[in-house]
Amino acid sequence: MPISAGYVVRETASNLWRNRLMALAAILTVGVSLSLVGTALLLRQSVNSQLAALGDNVDLQIFMKPTAPLGDTNAIQTTARETSQIKRCNYLNHQQSYEQMVALFKSQPSIIKVLTPATTPPVFQCTLVHPKDASAVANLFNTQAGVYEVTFPAQSIRTLIALSNVLQVVLFTIAVVLLMSAVVLILMAIRMAIFARRREVAVMRLVGATAWFIRLPFMVEGLVQGLLGAVVAVGIVLLGDIGIRTLLHRFSEFQSAVVPGHDVIVTEILVVIVGMVVGVVGSAVAVRRFLTV
Amino acid sequence: MIRFDNVTKTYKGSVTALSNISIDISKGEFVFVVGASGSGKTTLLKLLLREERIDSGQIWVAGREIDALSNWRVPYLRRNLGCVFQDFRLLPNKTVFENVAFALEVIGRPRQVISAQVPQVLDLVGLGQKSKRLPDELSGGEQQRVAIARAFVNRPLILLADEPTGNLDPTTSQGIMGLLDRINRTGTTVLMATHDASIVDMMRRRVIEIERGHVIRDQVRGIYGLDSSSSTTRGIPAVSAISAAADRLSTGTDALGPRHRKRAH
Repeated sequence: MPISAGYVVRETASNLWRNRLMALAAILTVGVSLSLVGTALLLRQSVNSQLAALGDNVDLQIFMKPTAPLGDTNAIQTTARETSQIKRCNYLNHQQSYEQMVALFKSQPSIIKVLTPATTPPVFQCTLVHPKDASAVANLFNTQAGVYEVTFPAQSIRTLIALSNVLQVVLFTIAVVLLMSAVVLILMAIRMAIFARRREVAVMRLVGATAWFIRLPFMVEGLVQGLLGAVVAVGIVLLGDIGIRTLLHRFSEFQSAVVPGHDVIVTEILVVIVGMVVGVVGSAVAVRRFLTV
Repeated sequence: MIRFDNVTKTYKGSVTALSNISIDISKGEFVFVVGASGSGKTTLLKLLLREERIDSGQIWVAGREIDALSNWRVPYLRRNLGCVFQDFRLLPNKTVFENVAFALEVIGRPRQVISAQVPQVLDLVGLGQKSKRLPDELSGGEQQRVAIARAFVNRPLILLADEPTGNLDPTTSQGIMGLLDRINRTGTTVLMATHDASIVDMMRRRVIEIERGHVIRDQVRGIYGLDSSSSTTRGIPAVSAISAAADRLSTGTDALGPRHRKRAH
């Protein structure tokens, strides 16, 4: 038997409105928990993209002054080869260094615009035997002639990863607890809707409405609550993402941590799907448990 | 149209509501089911709707054995059975028209059918002028007419009525019976459970009496009670014109219980 879409829309809308406080509580809980899920996912992607941009084996970067004479560069190369803590070094000249910069900052054309091969410092990218020696080795090179700056990106990335792993676990745990309470809230909201409409349901059974005809508006109500919660979460995650981008512009060191737009979209789609699942699960349990058809 | 073959129904807690009952009702019959409270009348109606399942035996409705129906077919069974209750069960926030239309709407009837059939059935029950009223604004008798309109709007083969006059005064009850009679004349089988002796006696239709889950009487053109224990006019406080008239009608039968006769005088 065809179930008219108009009927389901009308019933769902009037149910949601009649039960609006409960629906609001459910929607906001879904929204908050899903924005935590979204944030945790973006955090994971952001750290991954940092690793991907630099390569996780670059423990030490020795930037030469752009104007450093070739002799200084050769001297550094020799020292690096003679230092036992260094496993190997990869030298990027002006042009290669410029190309890597362009690759790293492809999401920020304003930065690339001011760079030229001539002003980009040549760099030694070194892998250490023991990454924890990075700062000691860095001190060795800091004082050498022609050296502009020594950084140890892998170490800071590792710190960042450790930090972000802890943060992800915390966020996911809170999110899971909140998602469970969101399911329960939707369940209770649907239960109340079923109770409010018990007379209609009794009449529907009596005159021979099919089981799915009776159930569907309640299921759709749960789905809509989950979906609206997901919309709230998508908004929060988007705003958060924009906020982080703006913030990160100030600390150019982390610019590669900015998640490309594409991944944000994938995250948002995931958030919407989880929201729908939460809504359907909550209402399905309520319908099974509290609706006799 | 309806057949019970050796039907037994026991509720949890081993209360036997019906034991080994066999009844055969043909198309177009008007049947009263009488008996004291708890005798199994309502169970009988619930079994027909498959609100309850039987323990043994078979029930046939419109050529189908209903206990063998799969669950998803039960709604389609119920579309053939109109239902009226003592407490009307109207939706208080819907108008008379909407209450009746609801019954068609939720079984997926198209809007043209609804707007054609609802006024027709409201005219039949005499409420054509009150289709925009809310149930609260109607008298009990009018509310029951709406309930009957809702039960009949889909033209069911069978109309089940569980004490439809239980909340109504005798005059109003008479009107409701007139309406059920009209519906019966359209070929609809009517099965009515009742306590209302005066109405049963007035109508002189087939009477099936149930006592403690057994059919103790099945009488064509019967009256309410053959013995004093079951002849009460429960729910009707005063002796009114209609019950007096009903009693006059049945004065010829010596079968009237003594208590009943006392009431008439």
